Amino acid sequence: MKTPKALASINMVILSIFLMPVFYMVWRFFTFTRSFESFFDSWNVYGLLFNTISMFFAVVISSLVLGLLISIILIRFKITGSKILFTLCTLPLVIPSYIGALTYISAFSPKGLYVQIFSFTGLSEINGIEGFIGSWIVLTLFTYPYVLLICSSALRNLDSTVEEAARSLGVKRFRIYTSVVIPRLKKPIIYSGLLVGLYVISDFGAVSLMRYSTVTKAIYTYYEFSLLGDPIIFYSGLLIFLALIISFIQRGSDVSRSAKVSGTPRIPARVELSSRSKLLVYFFFAVVIFFGLMLPVSVLSYWLIRGLSLGNDVRAVFGGVVGSFSASIITSILAIIISMPIVIMVSQYRSKFGDFIEKIILALYGLPHLAVGVSILFITVKIFPSIYQSFFALVISYLIVFLPQAVGGGQASMEQVKTSYIDASSSLGKSKIETFRKVTFPLIYRGLLAGGALVFLSTMKELPQTLLLRPTGFDTMAVDVWSFASEGLFTQAAFSAFILLAISAIPTYILSTRNLSG
Amino acid sequence: MNKKSIALISVLLMLFAACAGEAGPQGEAGAAGAQGAQGPSGEVSDAQVAAAVEAALADEEAEVGGTLVIYSGRKESLVADVIAAFAAETGVEVEVRYAKSAALAGTLALEGAISPADVFLSQDPVSLGVVAKDGLFDVLPEDILDNVPAWAVDQRGYWVGTSGRSRSLVVDTRDVMDSELPGTIYGLNDEKFRGRLGLAPSNSSFIAMVSCMIEQDGEEKVAEWLTAINGLGYTEYPKNSPQVAAAAAGELDIGMINHYYTLRTLAEAGDTPIKNVFLDGGCGAMVMPAGAGVLSSSQNKPAALAFIEYLHSTSAQEHFTNTVYEFPLVAGITPNALLPDINSLNSPSDLNWSALALWQEKAVELIAAAGF
Repeated sequence: MKTPKALASINMVILSIFLMPVFYMVWRFFTFTRSFESFFDSWNVYGLLFNTISMFFAVVISSLVLGLLISIILIRFKITGSKILFTLCTLPLVIPSYIGALTYISAFSPKGLYVQIFSFTGLSEINGIEGFIGSWIVLTLFTYPYVLLICSSALRNLDSTVEEAARSLGVKRFRIYTSVVIPRLKKPIIYSGLLVGLYVISDFGAVSLMRYSTVTKAIYTYYEFSLLGDPIIFYSGLLIFLALIISFIQRGSDVSRSAKVSGTPRIPARVELSSRSKLLVYFFFAVVIFFGLMLPVSVLSYWLIRGLSLGNDVRAVFGGVVGSFSASIITSILAIIISMPIVIMVSQYRSKFGDFIEKIILALYGLPHLAVGVSILFITVKIFPSIYQSFFALVISYLIVFLPQAVGGGQASMEQVKTSYIDASSSLGKSKIETFRKVTFPLIYRGLLAGGALVFLSTMKELPQTLLLRPTGFDTMAVDVWSFASEGLFTQAAFSAFILLAISAIPTYILSTRNLSG
Repeated sequence: MNKKSIALISVLLMLFAACAGEAGPQGEAGAAGAQGAQGPSGEVSDAQVAAAVEAALADEEAEVGGTLVIYSGRKESLVADVIAAFAAETGVEVEVRYAKSAALAGTLALEGAISPADVFLSQDPVSLGVVAKDGLFDVLPEDILDNVPAWAVDQRGYWVGTSGRSRSLVVDTRDVMDSELPGTIYGLNDEKFRGRLGLAPSNSSFIAMVSCMIEQDGEEKVAEWLTAINGLGYTEYPKNSPQVAAAAAGELDIGMINHYYTLRTLAEAGDTPIKNVFLDGGCGAMVMPAGAGVLSSSQNKPAALAFIEYLHSTSAQEHFTNTVYEFPLVAGITPNALLPDINSLNSPSDLNWSALALWQEKAVELIAAAGF
């Protein structure tokens, strides 16, 4: 069907606004006053790239191992309480990396909670967790749930005929996994691994707090060093470029785009474990859940209780709570509204332009927040000073990175709207607007709301863009956590951190329970 | 159902748009007010100060009011009380953006004429110099500049000092003997300090010190020193105060800081085994002003000037010396008893702040190139 002109032009406008940060970077790259090589000579570019890329591989590999292992155990073996274990293993997803890093730093600082508790074990010999090791541990623990969620659902839908054939040929179980199951999960593995990778290269909180020099840390350091000139643009552009490459590779392996399996997959029977291996499995889960969930939550609780007993004024965080909620609600509602023309365009009118828009929007998802923030900062100062440091500019910047989540939600539900419904409606003489109101909208609003909810959560946790772009006097819980923590006032950071985690935990819980039963 | 949800969404949207519009400034003012009421300053001299401010304002015959936007490179915990007292006494509605001085200087340079800021309050003279260099400050009136000694004023009158601080080393007296400490900052480049040093490379005062070193000793020597210090294995801190905490906890032997954090810790717990060591000369012994200037682009210059005058008032100066442990700059204010005599310090005497500001970018480049 031919795309209506109005729809196409609305999409063009949305697209050009949303691509501005990338265009601005590209333009700046071509107009540097210094030569390109001079960056490599005078700044530590190779070192930073090396650090960033080694962190990328380290975390991707460890997240994949952990996520796959948990998926296989929970789905292919008979484990009592597998549902609750699954939920507990996905919950670390709600802990933003900066909060995770803070709790780890605090727990293992020479006078930290865990060093005190476990001092008899010689843990006091650990002189803090930081640098590569610290960032690696924290990023792995808070990203492996992505692998778990994606790979477990793929594993569940994997037809077991081939496995059974291999087994009947006498292939050992371990070999079956390495040579049959995992190769057949290639796409979800690549997909979720690159998702984790995107998270790693754009992560700002964990590496900054762990003082591990990656490209993102360099960008923020230069911002703090007051060099808001070429270096910060150079590194932001470099990061966006890296992210776009990973993003495009990742899209190529998108599971939902690959050919659908026909018919219902054969689900293999769950394997019974010997009681000794069961013990081992439970021990493994205890360790994972302890480090991913219990440790951060216990450190936060410890701070919270200490803060309350010290008489910290809870009202001090009120401004942040109000700021977070207003920003998140407005951003999510706008995301729903703006995603609608895109969703309609992409799913109702299969055209080259529609495909192009879809690709671009999905690529936006991988854009590093800090780099987008830097770009919007420059754009508002240099081109649109009237919205500089305004709430409006902050919301636009959120929308640029979070809109894909709303589009995703809308797209999933749009699959239910068959072209024939719309044709029927128009043949009954209904106008396009009426058709949308009476036919399309009722079918898709749930999906839109789900997408909106995701945007709400992401906005609430967002840190670097907020730090760069917030209006003077505007606080969010994330900013409060960050600024209290960077002054060493952990007990005051705990309250905002707790509210943040509690709010994010609910939808993640629902998501994980649905995933397992569905 | 549809209509209902649409109506609900639009009501929510409007509601939160309204909230968002008001939440920021109100929350800020509320928080600032609450802190002001609890603060240790104020009670005694509020009346005096009010009178002084009124007199000053009457002098200038300027109406003070409206909104004042302050970019503060000084930490909230150090200046919020003073700002709240100013707001309470003048009725000026104050909005404060807190960040590192160097970051705010960069932001101001980027913003140029469109800056929403009226006043830039900085913890170091080099960040002020960066803004002055771009011609973004107004020249301050003589009577404000004359409030403080000449060393604490920009030579062209673009900004004025509000309090003084010295670079120093915080040392853990359990692990460091006086005899092993060097006379100048360059002496820290020594095998015996391997793994024992701490510093905050993104701290504005550290950058100011490195700018001073480049000015005094040349780029090459500074680059060498930075690389050497990095090679010795230092501990990096995000700012100065955690270095003092680390020294007090026995985790750090020697930290490169500004003097007042040590004094604050000692004032709170006198038996903490740490002390300040002031070097015998050179940039490691630099005494520098924290200061403020009025942006040329300010829409509310009367309030901006009134604020800077307020920073020179007796109550503000007493706050800086008795709560923050800095050197007061206005004549007649007694420095806190924990402070050494400012004249006994061996700061380089020939420092030109605007010349140092020209080295700021080079300083950052050297710090980054040394791998910090």
